Amino acid sequence: MKLDSKIPSGPLAEKWTNYKASQKLVNPANKRKLDIIVVGTGLAGASAAASLGAMGFNVDIFCIQDSPRRAHSIAAQGGINAAKNYQNDGDSVERLFRDTIKGGDYRAREANVYRLAEVSGAIIDQCVAQGVPFARDYGGLLDNRSFGGAQVSRTFYAKGQTGQQLLLGAYGALSREIARGTVKLHTRSEMMDLVVVDGRARGIIVRNLVTGDLERYAAHAVVIATGGYGNVYYLSTNAMNSNGSAAWVCHRKGAAFANPCYVQIHPTCIPVHGDYQSKLTLMSESLRNDGRIWVPKKKEDAEAIRAGKLKPNDIAEENRDYYLERRYPAFGNLVPRDVASRAAKERCDAGYGVGTGYAVYLDFADAIQRLGKDVVEQKYGNLFQMYQKITDENPYETPMMIYPAIHYTMGGLWVDYELQTTIPGLFAAGEANFSDHGANRLGASALMQGLADGYFVLPYTMQNYLADQIYVGKISADAPEFDEAEKAVRERLNRLLKIGQVETLRAASPHSVDDFHKRLGKIMWEYCGMARNTESLTKAKQLVTELEDEFWKNVFIPGTANEMNPELEKACRLEDYFELARLIIDDAMHREESCGGHFRTEHQTEDGETLRDDEHFMYVAAWEYHGHGQPETMEKEPLVYEHIQIAKRNYK
Amino acid sequence: MNLPKIHSITKKILVGALGAFLGFFLLFHASANLLILRHDGGEWYNAFCHFMGTYYIVKVLEIGLFASLLLHAVMAIWLAIENKRARPVGYKKPTRSKTHRGSKVQMWTGILIFACLIMHFTDFYFVKIGWVQGKYMAKSEDVVTLKTIQPEAFNYAEQHCEYSAKGNWLGNFNADDKAVLEAASLEVEPDFYHKAREKFKILHIVIAYLFFFVVVWFHLRHGFPAIFQTFGLYNYKYGKAIEVLGQVFNWVVCLMFTVTVLGVYFGL
Amino acid sequence: MKFTLHIWRQENARAKGHFETYPIDGISPDCSFLEMLDILNEHLINDRIAHPVCFDNDCREGICGMCGLYINGRPHGNDDGITTCQLHMRKFRDGDEIWIEPWRAKPFPVIRDLIVDRSAFDKIIQAGGYISTTTGGVPDANMIPIPKHAADMAMDAASCIGCGACVAACKNASAMLFVGAKISHLALLPQGRVEAADRVRKMVCKMDELGFGNCTNTYACEAECPKLIKRQNISRLNRQWIGALFGRDRRE
Repeated sequence: MKLDSKIPSGPLAEKWTNYKASQKLVNPANKRKLDIIVVGTGLAGASAAASLGAMGFNVDIFCIQDSPRRAHSIAAQGGINAAKNYQNDGDSVERLFRDTIKGGDYRAREANVYRLAEVSGAIIDQCVAQGVPFARDYGGLLDNRSFGGAQVSRTFYAKGQTGQQLLLGAYGALSREIARGTVKLHTRSEMMDLVVVDGRARGIIVRNLVTGDLERYAAHAVVIATGGYGNVYYLSTNAMNSNGSAAWVCHRKGAAFANPCYVQIHPTCIPVHGDYQSKLTLMSESLRNDGRIWVPKKKEDAEAIRAGKLKPNDIAEENRDYYLERRYPAFGNLVPRDVASRAAKERCDAGYGVGTGYAVYLDFADAIQRLGKDVVEQKYGNLFQMYQKITDENPYETPMMIYPAIHYTMGGLWVDYELQTTIPGLFAAGEANFSDHGANRLGASALMQGLADGYFVLPYTMQNYLADQIYVGKISADAPEFDEAEKAVRERLNRLLKIGQVETLRAASPHSVDDFHKRLGKIMWEYCGMARNTESLTKAKQLVTELEDEFWKNVFIPGTANEMNPELEKACRLEDYFELARLIIDDAMHREESCGGHFRTEHQTEDGETLRDDEHFMYVAAWEYHGHGQPETMEKEPLVYEHIQIAKRNYK
Repeated sequence: MNLPKIHSITKKILVGALGAFLGFFLLFHASANLLILRHDGGEWYNAFCHFMGTYYIVKVLEIGLFASLLLHAVMAIWLAIENKRARPVGYKKPTRSKTHRGSKVQMWTGILIFACLIMHFTDFYFVKIGWVQGKYMAKSEDVVTLKTIQPEAFNYAEQHCEYSAKGNWLGNFNADDKAVLEAASLEVEPDFYHKAREKFKILHIVIAYLFFFVVVWFHLRHGFPAIFQTFGLYNYKYGKAIEVLGQVFNWVVCLMFTVTVLGVYFGL
Repeated sequence: MKFTLHIWRQENARAKGHFETYPIDGISPDCSFLEMLDILNEHLINDRIAHPVCFDNDCREGICGMCGLYINGRPHGNDDGITTCQLHMRKFRDGDEIWIEPWRAKPFPVIRDLIVDRSAFDKIIQAGGYISTTTGGVPDANMIPIPKHAADMAMDAASCIGCGACVAACKNASAMLFVGAKISHLALLPQGRVEAADRVRKMVCKMDELGFGNCTNTYACEAECPKLIKRQNISRLNRQWIGALFGRDRRE
């Protein structure tokens, strides 16, 4: 495997312009002769399919839910960044680029990030034209708010439902193309395998989730836009059906997987409260604009609160430890997510946690006093209501309790500048690729990246690939490679279904898929979560392997493959998670430094900050698959910083 | 048969528009009824009835009114059938959603109104078109003319009616009298004043009519604001005002009817 | 907490369904309704009693619109402004009987158990529920100033999650609130006004064609909407429709 990042030559600010000027294009009459498969209908997938369809390509788009609008992009609350500088506070493409690189702890590719910042403004224009109801000032112009890791207000938002509104915009554009016939929609369809013909991605095998039928689709190129793999941890802010399997089957077929250990832990989630819990709910980062995070200064106060003897409001101001403001005076409560998460963990581990011991307060008393309840309600009303529905506590009166939770995965399929993976013709967009966020993603940048990839990058770079594909003619789904792939999927499903069906097992107590998934999640969170070290990672690997062995003996999947069978779907995804979990652990193990979301306790400064090792680890780790149970091999893509001055990441 | 395609909202708008027309008629009808409460031997009221029964524009409107009533019902039933078809399998548990009161019984109150209308028409309207017999009256000048031409008939009229002292009408004939007078080629019209005064003295009829008004009240309570909603006039600004206006209209109409009936019953 | 669950079971779209009764015990009041069903399923699987109950769910934070159960006579259960996943067991009394049914409407056929096919909503949107733009070639975002109150109203209408509770609640299985919300969202914005008349015509025709019922101003939709979308949006839809009927750009 050879990694060629295909970064165009020239000065950073001109790379994308140069690329566009010299890339190959497809003649309008030829576009309809070229087929493209897009898997996933989130921001990246929907925007890519809509744009490609509008250009005239023949697009097939797939999603596992009942409608494209269900994709988990919809749950993004806070906002979307763009270097518009509408607030005249010193923002610029350069500034957004620098913030993103710094936020990613100098582990992202310069050229990609610069392009992201460059097209960010156009995204807002596009969305407004689609009718996205962004928040506005009384003058009728767009309003902004600030987000972690930035000292300017560049975040555009639509109440606490920005992701929803952006997705509905993209879904609208997609719906229009479906109506025009350029895009065909396949809902409740799960990609089971990638079909590679002569080294190029030529199609996919799909399982119809309603009937259980396996279907084949052939195309000249395939786009994976299926999001991240955060659900390896079971409890996360991801949706129940979010999964890493589509990306993982591509990895199995030869696509390199980059930086899997970079997992973002979001500091403001509603804490875990029971074993039956199925997911964690995010409280938007925007709350940190006005909310202040604290724990009691005295351990005995914390203990009394945990025992229910004291209420948070009983703790006097001088006995509160606003630890973020104390440790990071310059950014205060608005430090990047990884920093805020680790700080919360540090306090809780030291015994100052509240609630179950794994929670800190996010207090709005100051904001309510300063701005009035009405203003706070207008800004965060829906979030407060959501909190109250879940916890049965009124955040206007008592501080919210929050704790970090798995939220986003910076790692993903390795892609070059064109967003093409190591398999020609296979592209990856949005969270599914690894490209722009380095070791940590800044708030409100995921939406930006997803839409940048879909609206403004893929429509160009895919043409460059497709230009000569016109000579290939229609791709046939009857090729032997399709037969083989379909057969393999069928065998895989049967193998899974057989486990619990063995007669001798009936007497034993088999377990459900979820049961194994929960246990896997616990292992990963415990030993490969917010803080990692050689010891914990070794343990994690051992436990995951043991658990997987048990899974193959003891899991019980009711039903058959020829019907709607959610248990079977979950089992397939979990099977992939076991491999993925091991890769995360391997990657975390090999990266002997701390950076962004990856924190190795062996590598920290005296005051507990991340300690990077630029000399040895300034590269992208791209892993190659060699078969089940075989160790993966790693290829390095060195990160070359020509434009930016590398510095210690400092938010103090 | 290929029915013309009417879109769901257009159907609703038609039902609403016809309903609005019927509503205005009710207001008109109710206010005119108050004349019954005048102790003038029916002078004003019967004059009004005469106008209603003879003026040609009113006759055209009358046809329109019946057509509206019919169409209003037909469209509503059409909608109801379509609505039933939209949920072929129902719920086991009946709904517990908080909904606009009255809306769910609109169909049933509508049917009840039809039933009550049959009673009402039997009492009054069918008399006018001659399907049933009631009280009648004759124009007094005609009766005077009669006196010179056919004195016997005049005497008969005088003996069998309650003479309206100063009015233009000689009223309160029964059906037999009507036959005699008509035989004498007199223009005889129904005497709704006396008919009403007679009817609304009877307790069970009063109760039946009060029930009628309650049903109308229920029908209007949903109908009035719904018309605004259907016409797209219900918005954030005037929503509340329309609700209030609707209730005021509803109460005014129904109270006017009630006052008339009870007024007669208690001899006001 | 202890409950008796009566759940609609139906193997596939063609099969005949029936209610099945399952007792369940040891449920925490802080448990969400769907987590309670997870526990039930775990039990059904581990004890090999039956195929687990299929129900749609995804984000479990009330925004994706995937979940939707008709619980004891109310879509999304006995609370206002929430989706099924946001319903918690503390809203029930210990020992309650709980009837769980799928959405019932002709355009929403049952696929399995409590899962229905809501692609009819997608079809309505495809008929015209968007502003026709292609990528690129659009004006600067601040070129189109929009009064704050209009933007706010559009946002309120746009917060529809397409869960189908309005259809499920309506005694006529009417989709007017869903269509009204989308029409309002776009009609309130200057960008959307260009195609407004055409849009309302196409969307309403599609809605009728798919077999949704007619609106009879019952407002159960408003009462059950998890995003508290107001009936004023239906009124606006009616207004837009009247405008489109007599509009000058009528092409048909």
